[in-house]
Amino acid sequence: MTGLFYNLIEMIIKRRKVYKNLSISIGGLIFFTTLLLFVTILPHVSGFSTKVLYSRIFILAVYGMSYDILRGYTGFINLGHAIFFGSGAYIVGIFLTHFGNNLTVLALAILTVLIYSSLAALIMGKIVFKGGGVIAAAMVTMALGEIVRNVAERWREVTMGADGLPFRVPDMFRDRIMIYYYAFLFLIIMTLALRQFILSPTGRVLLAIRENEQRAIFLGFDTKKYKMIALQVAGLSAGLAGAMFALLNRFANTDLLTVQQTLNALLMTLVGGTGTLYGAIVGSAFISLTQDTLLDLRAVHPIFDRWLLFFGSIYVLVVLFMPSGFVGLYNSKMAKLQVRLVQRKK
Amino acid sequence: MEPLLKIEKLVSHIGLFTILHDVNIEINKGEAVVILGRNGVGKTTLLKAIMGLVKSKSGTLEFENKNIIERPTYEIARKGIGYVPEDYGVFDLLSVEENIKIAISKKTTSIEDKIAYIFDLFPDLKIAYKRSASTLSGGQRQMLSISKVLVNENKLMLVDEPSKGLAPIIVERLARALREISKTTTVLLVEQNFALACAVGSRYYIIDEGRTVKNGKVQDLVKDSNLQKKYLGVT
Repeated sequence: MTGLFYNLIEMIIKRRKVYKNLSISIGGLIFFTTLLLFVTILPHVSGFSTKVLYSRIFILAVYGMSYDILRGYTGFINLGHAIFFGSGAYIVGIFLTHFGNNLTVLALAILTVLIYSSLAALIMGKIVFKGGGVIAAAMVTMALGEIVRNVAERWREVTMGADGLPFRVPDMFRDRIMIYYYAFLFLIIMTLALRQFILSPTGRVLLAIRENEQRAIFLGFDTKKYKMIALQVAGLSAGLAGAMFALLNRFANTDLLTVQQTLNALLMTLVGGTGTLYGAIVGSAFISLTQDTLLDLRAVHPIFDRWLLFFGSIYVLVVLFMPSGFVGLYNSKMAKLQVRLVQRKK
Repeated sequence: MEPLLKIEKLVSHIGLFTILHDVNIEINKGEAVVILGRNGVGKTTLLKAIMGLVKSKSGTLEFENKNIIERPTYEIARKGIGYVPEDYGVFDLLSVEENIKIAISKKTTSIEDKIAYIFDLFPDLKIAYKRSASTLSGGQRQMLSISKVLVNENKLMLVDEPSKGLAPIIVERLARALREISKTTTVLLVEQNFALACAVGSRYYIIDEGRTVKNGKVQDLVKDSNLQKKYLGVT
């Protein structure tokens, strides 16, 4: 039986070599086709809250991946990452509220989100990449995040302060099934784009920087420049995720700018697997689904009114027993399996 | 002829501690120079000071007649100085291929020829080319570390104790490779293994307590057992 299992794995690995240009294995193909079918059919057989939940998972996965670009590929702990996400949501909300509820305004809002995110990343990078280490950078970014949150809270005439900003969205985003598909498409496009970035020579340099910055420097790399590129990519992705999140919720509030919002991204990458990119997708799904299940359980037993207690315990268990996260664990198991296969051949 | 690298009265420190007090070295193009000395005399610090990884308080550090003190490390590397650190300088998260390709600078031409030359020198790397660098042995890691410098047209190669922690048979192979490299590239080698140093270098400098105390031809040092005993502990 074990032999049969190994032969199957070997066959998949061999096939993987044949289809190398497609970068996908037969097993992967079956998995993704099933997943695609599930995701396509789901909104037609599920209720309102499930559609919103899955749309949320897709969008937050992009936000998580944007965080992983920084944390997982450069080792930079950005505690002000919510600046991009929250501002993206606010910019869309402000534009649609003040300049009209149509696609042209939305396109302008998205363009503004991109420009804003790029500028914010530039300013943040100029401050934190001056030196001082990871902890100093984390503290400075947290302070920057608080500044932006405070501005949003006090600028009531534009943001409506702590009450939050409700707004109407263009017609094509009103249908919950359509926004579900847009969110899914957004996830696919962003995953492919970020994957391409990670596999590019720049992405490889970022990995080298994460492992040993000094070595990358004496190879002739201006590592600050590369970190800035990573921050730009992460900022733009998070900004776009924030914009999508606003279109889904039709609401933006200062919670989207808090440190807690940044920590959500950090937890998604931790649970899914830091430095794996796809880990954020798994993390986003795991966290949102667990949270949703625990909230539903409140109707079953009053003990689940304290659902946060269970939620926290699950986090602790995952981090304790899977320090490299779900995808990290899967990757290491697969690597070990390949080594065993090679040894078995010998 | 102006030397390729000129170091005069160099004083360098790590934190509050001054490690190099008075170092004077000249290296001409095409030479293979070895830096010798006991443990902790400042040999590695000297290479780090050249690369700008360690701050220099005073003195001259000129490469191709241009002062490189206070220049950022990546700029020094881009001027054509390749550095092979004692802890190998290999990226474990990348494959052997990625480790080599990431080191290729924009100026480098005929990359395929250089990779073929690397495979010629180190056939082990050809076999392990697609493998993760984390799976390499100590000797193979050293080979990869040297290859990362060889893949570019560096004018000067700094090599820090390549024999450290390696089996004698691997050290022999490295010595052969370094001798081969020194025919085409200027090499500054820091080494404790006297036999390896003699096999590669044509000139030597001895450092003692952060100062260059002796220099000359390696063949003269081989004959001078008193000097070997006094500064290198070779008996």
